[in-house]
Amino acid sequence: MSGYYPGFHTLEQRRFWDARTREVILDRVHNVPPIRFFSEEEARLMEAVCRHILPQDDRDEAQRIPILPWIDKRLFDDSHDGYRFEDMPPDREAYRLGMQAIEEISRHLHGRGFLEIGDRAQDELLRTLHDGDPPAAADIWARMPVERFWMLLVQDCVTEYYSHPYAWDEIGFGGPAYPRAYMRLERGEPEPWEVEERRYDWSAPDTYVSDRFEPVAGKEEHRGGPQEGTH
Amino acid sequence: MNAPLFGEFGKPEGERHRLGAMQTLGSPMRRYSPDEEVDYAIVGVGAGGGVMLQRLARAGFRVVGFDAGPFWDTERDWVSDEKGSHNLYWNDKRITRGEDPLALGANNSGKGVGGGTVHWASFTPRFHPSDFRVYSQDGVGADWPICYRDLKPYYELIERELPVAGPAYFPWGDPHGYPYGPHPMGGVGDALIKGCTKLGIGASAGGPVAILSASRADRPHCIYRGFCIQGCKVGAKASTLITHVPDAIAHGAEIRAHSMVSRVDLGKARRVSGVTYFDRDGREHFQKARAVVVAGYAIETPRLLLNSACPGFANGLANSSGCVGRYLMAQAGNVVLGRFDELVRMYKAPPAHALTEEFYETDPKRDFARGFAIQTVGPLPIAFAKQMMVAKGAWGWGMRRIMMDYNHWAAFGVLGEILPHEDNRVELAEEKDQWGLPVAKVTFNLHDNDKKLIEFGKRKTTDVMWAAGAREVVQEARYAHLVGASRMGSNPETSVVDGFGRTHDIANLFVCDGSVMPTQGSANPGLTIMAIAARTADYLISQGEAIFGSDRRDMTPPKFRRDLSPPDTWGHGVPAL
Repeated sequence: MSGYYPGFHTLEQRRFWDARTREVILDRVHNVPPIRFFSEEEARLMEAVCRHILPQDDRDEAQRIPILPWIDKRLFDDSHDGYRFEDMPPDREAYRLGMQAIEEISRHLHGRGFLEIGDRAQDELLRTLHDGDPPAAADIWARMPVERFWMLLVQDCVTEYYSHPYAWDEIGFGGPAYPRAYMRLERGEPEPWEVEERRYDWSAPDTYVSDRFEPVAGKEEHRGGPQEGTH
Repeated sequence: MNAPLFGEFGKPEGERHRLGAMQTLGSPMRRYSPDEEVDYAIVGVGAGGGVMLQRLARAGFRVVGFDAGPFWDTERDWVSDEKGSHNLYWNDKRITRGEDPLALGANNSGKGVGGGTVHWASFTPRFHPSDFRVYSQDGVGADWPICYRDLKPYYELIERELPVAGPAYFPWGDPHGYPYGPHPMGGVGDALIKGCTKLGIGASAGGPVAILSASRADRPHCIYRGFCIQGCKVGAKASTLITHVPDAIAHGAEIRAHSMVSRVDLGKARRVSGVTYFDRDGREHFQKARAVVVAGYAIETPRLLLNSACPGFANGLANSSGCVGRYLMAQAGNVVLGRFDELVRMYKAPPAHALTEEFYETDPKRDFARGFAIQTVGPLPIAFAKQMMVAKGAWGWGMRRIMMDYNHWAAFGVLGEILPHEDNRVELAEEKDQWGLPVAKVTFNLHDNDKKLIEFGKRKTTDVMWAAGAREVVQEARYAHLVGASRMGSNPETSVVDGFGRTHDIANLFVCDGSVMPTQGSANPGLTIMAIAARTADYLISQGEAIFGSDRRDMTPPKFRRDLSPPDTWGHGVPAL
């Protein structure tokens, strides 16, 4: 189990949450939807991609957070975030184009499909998308800017991962606090039911490259990312 | 303690419609039949529409408020959860484009009764007097047809109605105090005050924010749970859903939720006759009205007017100026994030609770006009992860590692004035939505002054973060709020509505939302939208029947009405006011 908050389990607080919040979060934990949008073959590819965008090799099988089923559900339901960049295809098409491009790059670099290259090679391939410099599939990237596809993919993965109580435990986020309230606002102090931080040297497996990175598409500031409301 | 003293919190009992933890909708709602002519049809029940609806109902008018989204029950519909709050936003299709395309959806839209006030962070600073004469003063942007003095009594009034918590003396713009005391602060506010103080920059702690720092009537005080922008289940944060809509209904207003207005209909003699809308089952209806108020905000308002094009108004209703959809504005909203050695836990306390307006006004020493504010923000994990994706390029194990430090980060928002530009606009796209209506196409480009201002604001905010003791500082470029696109002005050739929100072209058609703003200052727009709505309402009420029968445009300012506020507005809070 990673994170600096050993023994912290937000789900143990569920009886303090309001009924509707409890219902929504428990449903997320217990009722993972089936794959309906992606074909079996696509799902295998996407499962591997998600495993690099948000790797969970350090988690026990039972503690892994499902990501692909929720992306699949969003695409199956054709649910939107309320806007589409003019230079982007609709999300469903963007995913299909993106998968095609990843396969093309893999064949270009390795002569094999993405699923047949090793972990390190998969990570390095995805890093070319992150860097905005994919070595193949130019015709696809002409229809869809690679930076935008990358951000679509990463934001979908982080949305699923960090909406899960197991992820909250890992980062020490207290989760829902209505109707109980937070009472310790100062100095980062934990609530009586939260735990103290205990730091240690944490390192990612060195078979991956994703622990080292530069801002998306190089140092130059990228404009027009997916922005959440803040103020 | 592993369980609540009196057992698990269960579902709310009974059929009562909850508006916060304690408040329920008291009275049954009046229902008008569609062929019954009402006095006013209001399109959109958000910041502007909500206040307007309440005022007109109290004054005895027959009024229906349409909203495309639900009439929220805060206990049944809302959750303390980021992902689970996705339905609070306008998630229907829109196209965004330009050199600096705006993110829409969660960033700046609402859908449902209360509109954007449901999920605003609820910073409620006033505009400064200078905001109303930017062109005269700085030679950029536009002047308003009204001045600060026209709005001042309405600012004071709305600050009581919400009410706003903040310092007893707020030094910027027209100095003033707030009716409720400031809030205790979380780690982000502490960092902002510390950084500002170290650099000799004045700052405001604990407000101004439309969140109760002390309980009032059926609304409890804040519990610092941090989910303000996911909808306040507590009922401590003001939204027109809980502050104005209950009083509107008690005075005979009808709310027609899940009703998407598709067209404002033109009747005889260049006057509108009502609105056409789709109900939740997709059936089309027409509601007759003697006057129409459009309050759909800076995208849906111009979209509706453009979609209402008809013979005589081929380019869109009330669009003889060609200005409908133009001069759309967003504020620079760069988020500057700092990592600290010590713990911050920024998910606690409202995201909005401290700010500085020290850089708000034009400074001749800088190479750009106008200015910016620096405010606290408090991204929850998903929003923070997305910021890290952009600001640091994080993904994979790197994302996991950074997120494990979530509790060590604090975040400030730049809130910078972007000037109105003709090319920043809302148009109709070829694509259609679920009702077959052309969707909005939104174009946004930064201009020279905007870019310089953002650069300066970003640097200054970064300085404050370093001064607060951060070990690492990064930033994400983004935009906040949307206003303009149906702006007010004295000249019918360069504006859509007059100083009372009445369209220059059609005497019984009004606009009452953020889209009427000619410029936007560096203050969050919500309070000003409501103040304008209250003033426009006073005007409509003072004009009485003349609105429905006459084309005469009487520009006499209305008498200021203190007697139209919702109950419990008076006699609470800081006694000095």
